[in-house]
Amino acid sequence: MSDVLERPASSAPLDDGRLKIVGTRPIRPDGVDKVTGRALYGADLAMPGMLVGKVLRSPHPHARIVSIDTRKARALPGVKAIITGADFPELADEEYEAGESASNLRDLALNVMARDKALYNGHALAAVAATSSAVADEALSLIEVVYEVLPHVVAVEAAMADDAPVLHDKLFTGGLKEKPTKASNIAKRNEIKRGDLAAGFAEADVIFESRYDTAATHQGYIEPHACVASMASDGQCQVWSSSQGQFMIRTYCAKVLDIDASSIRVTPAEIGGGFGGKTTVYLEPLALALSRQSGAPVKMVMTRDEVFRASGPTSASVMTVRLGAKADGTLTAADVELKFQAGAFPGSPVGAASMTALACYDIPNFSIVGYDVVTNTPKVAAYRAPGAPISAFGVESAMDDLALTLGMDPIALREKNAVHDGTKASYGPTFRNIGYAETLEAIRSHPHYSAPLGPNQGRGVAVGFWFNVGGESTAAVNIAEDGTAMVITGNPDIGGSRASMAMMAAEVLGLPIEKVRPIVADTASIGFSMLTGGSRTTFAVGMAVTQAAQKIVEDLKRRAALLMDVSVDQVDWIYGAAVCTDVSKGKADLSLADLAAKSGQTGGPIGSQISLNAQGAGPGFGVHVCDVEVDPETGHVTILRYTAAQDVGKAIHPSYVEGQIQGGVAQGVGWALNEEYVFDTGGVMENAGFLDYRVPVASDLPMIDTVMVEVANPRHPFGAKGVGEVPIVPPLAAVANAVRGAIGKRMTSLPLSPPKIRAAIDAG
Amino acid sequence: MAQLDFIAPVSPEQAAAALLAGGAGARPLSGGTDLLVQLRSGRLPPGLIVDLKRIPEAIGIRQEAGGFVIGAATPGIALGEHAALTAAWPGVIEAANLIGSTQVQGRATMAGNLCNASPAADSVPALVAARATCLIVGPAGRRTAPVESIAVAPGRTSLAPGEFVLEIHLPARSARSADAYLRSIPRTEMDIAVVGVGVNLTLDADGVITDARVALGAVGPTVIVADAAAEALIGSKLDDAALARLDTAARAAATPISDKRGTADYRTKIAGVLARRAATIAYARAEKTA
Amino acid sequence: MPHVVVACSSCRAFTGDVTTFDVEAATVREMIRELERRYPGFGEHIERKMAIAIDGEIHQDALFEPLRAESEVYLIPKIGGG
Repeated sequence: MSDVLERPASSAPLDDGRLKIVGTRPIRPDGVDKVTGRALYGADLAMPGMLVGKVLRSPHPHARIVSIDTRKARALPGVKAIITGADFPELADEEYEAGESASNLRDLALNVMARDKALYNGHALAAVAATSSAVADEALSLIEVVYEVLPHVVAVEAAMADDAPVLHDKLFTGGLKEKPTKASNIAKRNEIKRGDLAAGFAEADVIFESRYDTAATHQGYIEPHACVASMASDGQCQVWSSSQGQFMIRTYCAKVLDIDASSIRVTPAEIGGGFGGKTTVYLEPLALALSRQSGAPVKMVMTRDEVFRASGPTSASVMTVRLGAKADGTLTAADVELKFQAGAFPGSPVGAASMTALACYDIPNFSIVGYDVVTNTPKVAAYRAPGAPISAFGVESAMDDLALTLGMDPIALREKNAVHDGTKASYGPTFRNIGYAETLEAIRSHPHYSAPLGPNQGRGVAVGFWFNVGGESTAAVNIAEDGTAMVITGNPDIGGSRASMAMMAAEVLGLPIEKVRPIVADTASIGFSMLTGGSRTTFAVGMAVTQAAQKIVEDLKRRAALLMDVSVDQVDWIYGAAVCTDVSKGKADLSLADLAAKSGQTGGPIGSQISLNAQGAGPGFGVHVCDVEVDPETGHVTILRYTAAQDVGKAIHPSYVEGQIQGGVAQGVGWALNEEYVFDTGGVMENAGFLDYRVPVASDLPMIDTVMVEVANPRHPFGAKGVGEVPIVPPLAAVANAVRGAIGKRMTSLPLSPPKIRAAIDAG
Repeated sequence: MAQLDFIAPVSPEQAAAALLAGGAGARPLSGGTDLLVQLRSGRLPPGLIVDLKRIPEAIGIRQEAGGFVIGAATPGIALGEHAALTAAWPGVIEAANLIGSTQVQGRATMAGNLCNASPAADSVPALVAARATCLIVGPAGRRTAPVESIAVAPGRTSLAPGEFVLEIHLPARSARSADAYLRSIPRTEMDIAVVGVGVNLTLDADGVITDARVALGAVGPTVIVADAAAEALIGSKLDDAALARLDTAARAAATPISDKRGTADYRTKIAGVLARRAATIAYARAEKTA
Repeated sequence: MPHVVVACSSCRAFTGDVTTFDVEAATVREMIRELERRYPGFGEHIERKMAIAIDGEIHQDALFEPLRAESEVYLIPKIGGG
């Protein structure tokens, strides 16, 4: 169930309140294929002569690779290729300070295939291509690796200790005034400050401080990584892959293998979930290298076990949050320290976590310090609003306790300190066109917020923020000879964006939605686009689609003017037809089909492509309220009711905006209640499967109600803001705050699994 | 490379002979919901698979001598659909129907669940509480054994080479008797039991418990028959004092480990909680029966 | 002239404790060149690793965006999503 709350007048350029398609709920164009099994995913392609590729992975969390002997494996009948790190160019071996950017190419290449060191259990060391799965498995067992096992470290604070085993002897902590001389696992320290922290705390009537910790979790996409790759003897490559960006795959394969980007054509398969975990490569460079050596196409599909051990979960963390406030709830100071686990190479999302931690609050004095720490665990990858859910868990739990101490309603405490248009954000710039206050009000006035609670039940509120991005995008719109249209983009559809693209084009062109067909094209068939992620597709690619459609409308008006024999400023485009505004001339309207039929005579094929770098993405705010019931004897938490309000700008297709909100909440609930990476003392993951890595099942969740607050982003033609990532930010704290209400105790360690809750209750 | 072989015998004796001849790598197959998973994951090397489903006695439920005989290859969904069986043994059926998921229930069997010998098997505590027995067929002939004698350690059974379970027998039911099974899992479905408790009760005309059996699962290497816990109930009407004694005795009988599914301390406490709750359900059911 | 504020700690290696600047520039590129002149290496760092917020609006790759006389410019780390 969902509500849409609108402001009276939209500031979006094309939203005049009379939209016919944008804002409605047509059936998604990919729906039939997906529910009937026709849709082609990464593992579905078969090519003649195709081989099966498999990866040999380190059993040790930290070891020097002394030697790899592949002779016995090569001799096995059916084995057509074997590769190790030596088969890849060595990217510059430089002393490096950890960068903010997650795509340090040298690290990425070493993660795809190790050279000197195995840095986590699961790290790829070698790969084979063989005529069958069974032969490939046997070949792996014949590869002889000599390891020098090294001491390992998994936990964040242990990795930061002076005596911790060091992963990279050329990694020196970045972000310090003076560069250190001793190598460290602390890749970087970052800091955001404002005002005078000590003075701020001195002014406070109430101070609250606590420590929090969260476990590593996985994005949990249902489709494992999969690809088919083929390199011909002339070096031309084809890759079919499940990913969040075919251009990203092309770029990374080109860099890791040192070949031209134009030699690689990447076709995006349908994707069974990504959530950020598929914004990088694991298999594609391996499959190409195996194909090069064997002369045949190679298919590689990760098992679920490999997905857990060797793709990119998100960080475990340790945090402290200290808040100071006046008796009336005005925040005077905040001190936040974040320690994030990066995995085997630098690049945890601690930077974004720092920038979002206090983004919903107008606080005059604060300090946020973040540490990016390498550990012998898989290299973390993006997970939906990377970093933000973690820091929000700490800050929102602390705010909840502060509200209790002050005797204040939790929404009132947020409102008292809320950011508005014109407030300087904690991460720097000034907010404009945000809908945070409206989103808070949407929850405050929602019937859920005032519904009564029973015994062992509690209610929790939490807020969350994400920037959303724009970026380089290309879209093409082509009109067929019968006046129907194709919308072509280069962005895999992970959230229903393809439907929204068609809807925006249909709105501008004035065509019914059934006459507009969206497709996602390969890297050779459409211009460059940044990957699908960062909640950018509907905003940025939608902008390109709209502009392409508008350009076509201008062209159609020109053609109509020619055919009508009037001047072009006397032609209007109204609901799919060219209309002469001078009625005295008695000109009949010309439909798109009419004009398409005459395209040859009026200038040639009708189509346009727009490439742009979309700026002005609007940030999003979410306010969530959650009711739980706790069984005090077993510690089980039941989510009774959940309502999520979010500032969405404009819901192009409301069902898919709801879907994004509900999906983010579901992942956040799993993160809060039961999901965690469990490692044994040997640094090996114990629960690398969905049996014991516990994502919520359908019966674990009630229907999640959504409220879509529409405060338009004037930089998007229809007012859209990104929506996909905000919804995962509040749930960790919303659930924890609700549990606190139900059991009267504060849980500071995620996940809130039943044994932990029962232990907390027993501790009294 | 190891070979995978498959045979579908049509008689129990033929199956026993095939299992004996197949050696250490031979396995009986009913629903395959454990076997196939283990083969795929590499935990079990490929060997001879002996499919039991062509053997007539292996599938079906019949009433005999006041009790029930259930063929080893009878899937869970058939158990739940059998009205008389469900009325007489609601605890056994609800336990069996918890295995896996709806799809798994179309294949999974109690005999398979039992012989897989996982300490956390869901059907076993209820079968043990019910005093169920197995009909075992082997090269030396047929024999009967109580269900609790089958699993001897995690993943190991007392079955000799060539032996397999052909039938599970539930005894005749006394009047005013009922059973119940509860398990504790972190989510609401799909998990392996962290603790499982089966309770079977018989009441007299006044509601006094005259017979009780309590079995604990997932808190030891094999199912634990908690005699002291059962004794704590006999002679009572399941008042609060009896429930408290039951809780204490169940906790004392539990010998769990700490692993990724739960701590020993938590499992011990939950054994007590579930024993109380299962006994309460069984008692209410027993009061309602004739 | 445009007022520039640095809001990230990776810049400390170039600018030390100085975090605000007044820079005479009509475009972002001119601003970067001026900052490179004052702090060698800083301009390239900004171009490669920073996003730029101009009067509240975040730009990534914003080299030719215009700056007005009263523009408020924030340099923040580039943001990646998931």
